[in-house]
Amino acid sequence: MSVDTMVIVREVWDTRDLVGQVLDDTGNIKADAVGTRFEPEDLNALEMALRLKDAQGGKVTAISAGEPRGVDVLREALYRGVDAVVRVNADPLALDDQALAEAYAGAIRELGSQGLILIGTTVLDGENSLLGAHLAAALDAEQVSWVDELEEATPERAVARRAIEMGTETVEVPLPAVLSVGVALLEDDPRSPRSAKAMLKLKMKKVDIPAHEAPAIEAVTKTAGRAAVPERVIETRAVDAESEAELKSMLDEARKGD
Amino acid sequence: MADISVFIEVDDGVLNDISLQCLGAARALADGGVVRCLAAGAGASGIAADLFARGADEVKVFDDSRAAAYTTKPYAKAVIAWLNEAPPAVALFGATTIGNDLAPSVAARLKTPCVLSADGVEAADGGYVARRVEFDRKVQTAYAPEKEGLFIVSLHDGAAETPAADASRTGEAVPLSVELDDSDFAARVLKRDVAKKTVNLKDAKIIVAAGAGVGNAEGLAVVQQLADALGAEVGATRAVVDAGWLAADHQIGQTGATVRPDLYIACGISGAVQHRVGMLDARKIIAINTDANAPIFKVAHYQVVGDLKVVIPKLIKVLAA
Ligand SMILES: Cc1cc2nc3c(=O)[nH]c(=O)nc-3n(C[C@H](O)[C@H](O)[C@H](O)COP(=O)(O)OP(=O)(O)OC[C@H]3O[C@@H](n4cnc5c(N)ncnc54)[C@H](O)[C@@H]3O)c2cc1C
Ligand SMILES: Nc1ncnc2c1ncn2[C@@H]1O[C@H](COP(=O)(O)O)[C@@H](O)[C@H]1O
Repeated sequence: MSVDTMVIVREVWDTRDLVGQVLDDTGNIKADAVGTRFEPEDLNALEMALRLKDAQGGKVTAISAGEPRGVDVLREALYRGVDAVVRVNADPLALDDQALAEAYAGAIRELGSQGLILIGTTVLDGENSLLGAHLAAALDAEQVSWVDELEEATPERAVARRAIEMGTETVEVPLPAVLSVGVALLEDDPRSPRSAKAMLKLKMKKVDIPAHEAPAIEAVTKTAGRAAVPERVIETRAVDAESEAELKSMLDEARKGD
Repeated sequence: MADISVFIEVDDGVLNDISLQCLGAARALADGGVVRCLAAGAGASGIAADLFARGADEVKVFDDSRAAAYTTKPYAKAVIAWLNEAPPAVALFGATTIGNDLAPSVAARLKTPCVLSADGVEAADGGYVARRVEFDRKVQTAYAPEKEGLFIVSLHDGAAETPAADASRTGEAVPLSVELDDSDFAARVLKRDVAKKTVNLKDAKIIVAAGAGVGNAEGLAVVQQLADALGAEVGATRAVVDAGWLAADHQIGQTGATVRPDLYIACGISGAVQHRVGMLDARKIIAINTDANAPIFKVAHYQVVGDLKVVIPKLIKVLAA
């Protein structure tokens, strides 16, 4: 009763606590100022798929679009234990999520999935749209977003718990279905980072990553311009935690309007 | 002048505040054009009068007992039927867990451009652009449709003002006509576990917020005591809610409430961007954190480096003095 799973894994800008200018003179993202990382929610989705495989078997395939820029998410997925990887020849930086979803859907159709498709819900850099929702529509599959836990998966159906504004919902969907995974699953990365030596070995290892040719797809949304957001200038003051007098004047000052 | 359509979320007869903000944004964007609303969810017909009063010209109601709990397919089908009746220039959704699930699903099925969680949408060069702040709030990106026709945008909390009600504006709501069959209801919500709202963070003048740094229930109690001493509401990060220390209605940030109190006291909060976006506009921010390098200090007016379990009792003491 095992279910085959496909996981979309993306390399995205690492936008955590950026310092300095992010844009170059032409208004493009400065690659050296930002760097990239494995989309953290996709990592959750991958972990969800691998746990399902550990528990009840089934094949896990990781799919990614585009050439690696800094982090090779497909190799990383292989290292973590997926059975197969596929690279989709489409440029994620040049396409919007609707167009990208078409590219992914093409690969998924060719691979013949009738099972579970997992992906992170939002991309932290911009969340310009939700790839999972576009993908479900492209595949005419059911979808559940912000999934925190997969409670059950059989070849026919999945039961997932999703986060909503004031709590949770448990949703049952027939397969095929796209489950977009949220942040809750992975507090600490259970497949811990490995040594530099192991990473190098992984890099050197010859693996054949099959490529899927995506048909020419047109983006429906474009970036019309980027501008630096002016730095928020506030007056900050260090307050001595030991000094009751300083703490008192802080509270008095902060509580009165200015 | 353009026609604008707004998807209005209704949960158990209660109108979602972000939907009302979208209605406000739609009125401004329409610039004399027609503003149409689809009120969807259980008890949706009951809020129609409010929608007219706040600026809707036409209201359709989607209240199918089979779709009382949101699932994507029937809602997407209903919205598409509604949009096809009278195609607008822009369709607005609230950037909620429903809106951000539904908007791209509708856009993908209609093959029309879509931008989510925007800070605003405006007319530009004969078309429209949606703007959003990204990259750790360092970059504002403008997104525009590549082709003519419907533009779908979801607006996040705080992107527009809630319009005031004008009792002289009235109208008649009409049920949406859409054919749904059993296959549209293949996805089913088995269980719903939603907290009752116990705090009103949005109207709070002072918020004392707890982060993972409280460590345990005792640490949380200290935060609560400070809130009591100040007559404040207690807010929380997602880490605290996920740990089960406080209910979800206390959460502030991207997936929680957006607040603008006069004073925000962040206790044991690192200041991840997903939290900051929800509290950045507080008039004054005090941060208490053991780590002098915590990002929260970058947005705090008062930086208190120290253990909250030591600092807060001192604050309570000087307040009582
Ligand atoms: C899509 C998405 C949406 C999210 N939405 C939200 C959201 O809406 N709201 C939200 O808050 N988060 C949200 N998050 C999570 C967010 O990224 C952070 O993980 C979260 O805000 C961290 O919470 P924290 O600051 O309480 O915990 P931590 O990051 O663990 O920080 C704890 C802090 O406490 C300090 N500390 C420890 N002990 C003490 C002590 N004794 N005294 C004083 N300080 C101490 C530490 O130095 C540390 O800085 C979201 C994440 C994602 C990916
Ligand atoms: N490998 C990928 N596969 C699919 N989508 C991607 C990939 N990398 C980036 N994206 C998308 O492209 C957008 C911009 O990517 P990035 O600038 O890397 O964050 C993101 O919002 C993602 O939706």
